[in-house]
Amino acid sequence: MTRWNDGRDEIGAVSADITEETNALPARYFTDPDVHEMEKEKVFGRYWVYAGHANRIPERGDYFTRTIGGKQIIVTRDGEGDVRAFYNVCAHRGSKMLDDAPMTDPGSLGRITCPYHLWTYELDGDLASTPKSFEEATLNPDLDDESVRGLDPEANGLMEVTLDSIGPLVFVNFADDPDLTLAEQAGSMKDELEALPLEEYELARRYVSEVECNWKTFSGNYSECDHCQANHQDWVRGLELMESELEVNDYHWILHYQHREDVEDEMRIHDEHEAKFYYFWPNFTVNMYGTADGYGTYIIDPIDEGRFQLIADYYFRDADLTEEEEEFVQTSRQLQEEDFELVERQYDGLRSGALAQAQLGPNEHTVHKLHRLAQDAYEA
Amino acid sequence: MAMEREKSAHAGALACPTCDFHTTVAEPNDAIECYRRHRSVTGHAIAWERTALDAAVETDDVETALDGLGDEYGEGVPLGVLTAALAERGVTIEETLDAIYALRMEGAIYEPRDDRVLVV
Ligand code: FES
Ligand SMILES: [Fe+2]
Ligand SMILES: [Zn+2]
Repeated sequence: MTRWNDGRDEIGAVSADITEETNALPARYFTDPDVHEMEKEKVFGRYWVYAGHANRIPERGDYFTRTIGGKQIIVTRDGEGDVRAFYNVCAHRGSKMLDDAPMTDPGSLGRITCPYHLWTYELDGDLASTPKSFEEATLNPDLDDESVRGLDPEANGLMEVTLDSIGPLVFVNFADDPDLTLAEQAGSMKDELEALPLEEYELARRYVSEVECNWKTFSGNYSECDHCQANHQDWVRGLELMESELEVNDYHWILHYQHREDVEDEMRIHDEHEAKFYYFWPNFTVNMYGTADGYGTYIIDPIDEGRFQLIADYYFRDADLTEEEEEFVQTSRQLQEEDFELVERQYDGLRSGALAQAQLGPNEHTVHKLHRLAQDAYEA
Repeated sequence: MAMEREKSAHAGALACPTCDFHTTVAEPNDAIECYRRHRSVTGHAIAWERTALDAAVETDDVETALDGLGDEYGEGVPLGVLTAALAERGVTIEETLDAIYALRMEGAIYEPRDDRVLVV
């Protein structure tokens, strides 16, 4: 049963069983600015969150920056060839060190130097050098140079962020002691993705859109296909929707979209005759196309409670796209725009405050999983 | 995107000349935030496509334009307004913000409130 904000209906927690009445996350979790603040820690500060693609930083010292839940990080490749992440924050007095460099336009450096007082760090985060004024007490009449303590390189190094990968896909976790390893959070998805040659593909396109709804509103839309028949008519024409399946796992779900017999689908990165879309809690998707030799990723990045950025990246064998690939990307963009219309309209409705708790249908079990995970995160 | 919003009061529309990003903003300074966000994830510089503000300037010189608008905005000219007015003279947001940065570093302007500036 739907619950309204009419002074009579009462909301409940998201039931574990989807057939029960209170099976959706209460509406205020989509519209409340305090929830957005809470999510920075409870969602984006505790789970494994996608940071970027290792192919973009092939050489020692290559780096890109990312902001996740308000935390700014540098993702770089150290002297050993390992990808590592550090807060973009100086160990001296906390300055932001590097300017933003998205992975579409990565930077490169030999050492990380803070522009404020020129403390310099190795690519493994250790403090490499400081200017003379940190070794001698020339300006301080109360101190002689001998009493200036030396700075241990490691103890005064950068703050590292826990990092792990699935193939070339790099994830970070901001918890001091993460509850789960990336392998545990990803489960079977890790093996499935690592069986594919993801690293052989190049980033060909990035499209970023700002959409006026809560990030979870879009996540819910991505995860179900009850809206497809009415709203993605061009796309569903090629699908056998009744043969398709939405598979739910612990922290990810997979939308298996079967093609109709007559659809030309020999071009694929994977074996199954289907498009395979992975949603990985909290805000990442990997889209294995059914009819193009490539894949895409989405980052669903909150701006505030009522807006998010969709960062859509497209990977193909070659960054120079063929005409068919160009067309494919355009179709994907068209799908996005159709969905943006839907979620902005849904959010307009949600924002009016009438709805207290929605209800989910039997084939929205993926959305139910999303809502359950959000609730678990908030309660943890 | 944001079709509904276009009918209500809004400051204008922005687009990216490099990718196919389009958006509309309600407040002029939302454009500046949006510019920074887009730059941070793409490296691209978005530009005003259409503005719905009365502020107009007769010059393409940033300092002169700012001086002219200063009378109307006692608490500082919002960078969104300044960039929109200068866009009509063919000056991009990137050029305006670069010029503002240079002027600020010279001490020629000040920022009485965040992202609002006045000539000294
Ligand atoms: S804050 Fe970075 S060197 Fe001082
Ligand atoms: Fe959709
Ligand atoms: Zn762009």
